[in-house]
Amino acid sequence: MGLRRLDFSELKQVLDAVQCSVVSAIGNAHFDAYVLSESSLFVYPKKMIIKTCGTTQLLKSVPCLLSHADDLGLAVTRCRYTRGSFIFPKAQPFPHTSFREEVMYLEDILPAHLCFRKACIMPPTCCTSSSSSSSSSSSSKPPGHSHSWHVYSASHAPEESEESSSSSSLFTVEICMTELDRGLARGFFRRRGDGRSGDAVGSEMTAATGIGRIDKDAIVCDYAFDPCGYSMNTVHGARYSTIHVTPEEGYSYASFECVGSLHNRKDLEQSLQRVVSIFRPATISVAVSTDVDGDAADRVAARVAAALKPMGPWTGNGARVEDFPAGGTVTFQTFTHRRK
Amino acid sequence: MAATAAAAAAAEGVVIACHTEEAWNLQLQKGNESNKLIVVDFTASWCGPCRFISPILVDLAKKLPNVTFLKVDVDELKSVAMDWAIEAMPTFMFLKEGKIVDKVVGAKKEELQEKIAKHMTN
Repeated sequence: MGLRRLDFSELKQVLDAVQCSVVSAIGNAHFDAYVLSESSLFVYPKKMIIKTCGTTQLLKSVPCLLSHADDLGLAVTRCRYTRGSFIFPKAQPFPHTSFREEVMYLEDILPAHLCFRKACIMPPTCCTSSSSSSSSSSSSKPPGHSHSWHVYSASHAPEESEESSSSSSLFTVEICMTELDRGLARGFFRRRGDGRSGDAVGSEMTAATGIGRIDKDAIVCDYAFDPCGYSMNTVHGARYSTIHVTPEEGYSYASFECVGSLHNRKDLEQSLQRVVSIFRPATISVAVSTDVDGDAADRVAARVAAALKPMGPWTGNGARVEDFPAGGTVTFQTFTHRRK
Repeated sequence: MAATAAAAAAAEGVVIACHTEEAWNLQLQKGNESNKLIVVDFTASWCGPCRFISPILVDLAKKLPNVTFLKVDVDELKSVAMDWAIEAMPTFMFLKEGKIVDKVVGAKKEELQEKIAKHMTN
C-alpha cells in the first residue's frame, strides 16, 4: 500500500511542515483524500498530492515527505510543483518569496537521479494589464492582477500512470477563478452562530450551490469554515477532484482541480462548464497537464476555449503550450469576462 | 466461559471489533434487543483516514457507555461490507432497534459527535 502505510503521526509531520491540519478525510480502495484547513492532501500508494491556499509553506513538506518515503523503501521518480500568481506576493514566507527561490529550494532537495528538469512561467493569454508590450521588461514587476502559471517539473523517466492502460488519455485540470459573482459567493458564508458542525454546513453548501452535481457519482468530503470559506474533495474510483472557496469580496477566489479522461467530454467540458456556472467569475485560468504531444495539447486548449465560449463573452482565446522533459505537456489559458 | 465474560466486560466503554460473522451477528442481535444506539465503524487497515479517526472513536466509546460501538474491517468481513454497500472508508452506520437511522461517510469528527448526540436522546 506504499505511502498509504504512513502512520497518521508521520503524515502529521508532513502537514505540520506546511502548517495545515486535517479537518475531515475519506478513503477508498485506491487512495485517501484529506480536507485540510483550506487545503487538500491526496495519498495514493505511489503518489502524493498536496494543494494549499494562502500563506502556507507548501514546499517545506517535500524534505519530510522524501524522508518518510525513503523509510518505506520508496524512491522518488517525479516531482511537480505548479501554482498561479500570488494574490498577496509580499505576504509569502520563504521559500515562496519568488518562483526563482522556490525552484532553487526544490533543486537543492531533490535527488540527482531526477535528471529531467524544467522550470517555466507561462504568462496569461488575455492581457488585462495593458503594458504587455516589448518595452524593456522590468522582470521584478509583477504583471498586475493578471495570472501567470508557474510550473516546475523534475522526472526520472517517462511517467507511469495509476491507470496505466489509458495513461496517455488522462489529464489533470487546475482552474483558478477570481472575482466571483457576489450573489453566488454569498452561498459560502455561514449563518452567524449557527452552532452546527463544519461538516454538516459543508454538506448543505455542496447541495445548495450545485457542487454536488459536478460529478454525481463521486463521494464528497466537504467542510464549511467559520465564518466563511469552503473546501471539498471527492473520490471516484482512482480519481480525485477538489474545490476551495474564499468568498470574501475584494479578493474572492475559487479553485477547482480534477483528473479525467480526454476521451470523455463529461470529464473536461462538462465539469469546466458546471464549475464556472457555480462561481461565475470575472477571470479564469485553466491549466491542463497531459502526457500528449504538442498538437494534441493544442486540441485540448481549443476544447477548453469552446466549452467556455457560451458562458462568455471572454477576452483571451489563445493558449500557451509547454513541453516538459519526461513530464508531459501543460496548456495554459486565461479568460477575462467583459462585464457590461 | 472466560471469553464470554471478557466479551461482556468489554461491551461497555470500548469499541468492539467483530472479527467473524458470528461475532457480528451476535453483537447486532444484542444491540437490537437493548434499544441502545449502535454505531458501526466500517474500516480498513490500509485506510489512512480510518487511522486518523480511530483514537477519536475510542474516546467517544469511553465517554458514552450507553452507546454500543462496533468495528468491522471490510477485508475481514467482506460479505458484511458488501451487504451494507460500503464504498468509502470510514463509514459509520447508526442503528436503533435493528434499523439504520443515519450514517456518516468519512472521518468527520464533528458530524460524528453531532449525530451521536442527536440519536442518543431520540
